[in-house]
Amino acid sequence: MINEPIVPQHHPASFKDPSGFIFKANGKLYRQINTCYADDYDLLMSSGLYKALIEKKLLIPHTEINENFYQSPDWFKTILPEQLTFISYPYEWSFDELKDAALTTLRILKISVKHGMILKDGTSFNIQFHEGRAVFIDTLSFEKYDENKPWIAYRQFCECFLFPLLIEHYHKIDVQKLLSVYLEGIPAGTTAKLLPLKSRFKLGIWLHVYLQASVNAKNKPTSKTATASFSKNKLLNLIDSLQNIIKPLKVETTIQSTWNNYYEETILSKNYLQEKEKIFRELIGDINNGRTMDVGCNDGYFSKILAENNPDVIAVDFDSQCVNKLYLDVKAGITKNILPFCIDLTNPSPALGFNHAERQSFAERAKSDTITALALIHHIVLSKNVPFADVAKMFSDITLNHLIIEFVPITDEKSQQLIANKTTYHKPYDPEAFEKNFTVYFQIERKEIIPGTERILYRMKKLL
Amino acid sequence: MKILFLYIDPGSGSYLVQMIIAGVLAGLFYFKNLWLRIKSFFVKNRKDETTDND
Repeated sequence: MINEPIVPQHHPASFKDPSGFIFKANGKLYRQINTCYADDYDLLMSSGLYKALIEKKLLIPHTEINENFYQSPDWFKTILPEQLTFISYPYEWSFDELKDAALTTLRILKISVKHGMILKDGTSFNIQFHEGRAVFIDTLSFEKYDENKPWIAYRQFCECFLFPLLIEHYHKIDVQKLLSVYLEGIPAGTTAKLLPLKSRFKLGIWLHVYLQASVNAKNKPTSKTATASFSKNKLLNLIDSLQNIIKPLKVETTIQSTWNNYYEETILSKNYLQEKEKIFRELIGDINNGRTMDVGCNDGYFSKILAENNPDVIAVDFDSQCVNKLYLDVKAGITKNILPFCIDLTNPSPALGFNHAERQSFAERAKSDTITALALIHHIVLSKNVPFADVAKMFSDITLNHLIIEFVPITDEKSQQLIANKTTYHKPYDPEAFEKNFTVYFQIERKEIIPGTERILYRMKKLL
Repeated sequence: MKILFLYIDPGSGSYLVQMIIAGVLAGLFYFKNLWLRIKSFFVKNRKDETTDND
């Protein structure tokens, strides 16, 4: 008998859990549930837990499809989850996004316990941002709760959520980039070394970080500890304790980051902004459809304009404080259809994980019908020394239809600041060179000078 | 020594920690309740702190 090679049918990120897998068919993402998860899935649906989580908008809703796409012998059910606009990863979230993802996970855990179920994993990759809020996407993470056992995912939860949040809270540094290295979370031992001495004097932190680090270092794992009995009350106390530590954590918003007061402070300020907004609204007027991505979104002033008529706006900026501020606006209900993430266009998230396929690169996920890039080009070309030709190619790679882009000339106050201490930059840096390189991939549909400045707003259409 | 952890499931090492933490929290909870009861004896109509409505 010849053994036929088995070609993976699953999505490259969906291979760890034997309970089922995600796959793509007909342009949509489905989830196959295997027979080994049948009892837990039935319990999720019959216990009222699914209904409770959907009502609270904590879990992604799905519909059951009675089709065994791959004629798989393990097949139990196929479900079609509500499709997401954009997949983001924890290393692209701002502080409050990570914090809300953590609190959402704990809230779901608590509700699950009340319904006789528990979360079998606690990774931050189970959370996505959808319609302005954190939502749990792994329908197969729920299993029957055994009151005698502690939470199997406790350590994973701490490493993926609690520890990065504590590091950021105490040091006021971005932890996003760290999480792209520690894909499975930051270990307790590493966290204990990174946190300041004063954190030891908080009992909760001492228990969850220092004690855990010390126990992990000394305790050789045996099956004996796994059989020691626990209780529901103890588990609920543990969840409360985690919630009580996480809820007050914050990053100072008063610290001046690079761009968080850009529009408020710039001397071009009010008139410039009004004129730019007027032209911007004209330019986007009749192309406002499909997915829009505002790159270099700053505080989201223009993302919010895009969101007025567009159902899906992704707003990205390398400044995590700007992104956090925008996320808090979205959370406060100012707008719901903006998803803000921390992305540095000159060093975007790479493809990570097993076989470089588990977590997709930003470029693979970024393709959008419309891309807007306001007051950004001078940073890429003058600060980062990327030639126009490469910038144009990058924008053509992620733009499906339209590109709205602002050219900031060398005479501009902001450009002058950028080149003040530089000995060299790519020349010529002028509208002619800019247009020459961009028209390789785009056709210029409109071009407007912003009154009172030499800045130019372009609307370009991608060449077929 | 750290190499040992390469063979452990992420969850398994946390059981003992949870047992200890739960023990400490239970103790704290006991004293907190005791304190609240003493306090409520002197201060009447004190509203309990509410958490999530879940």
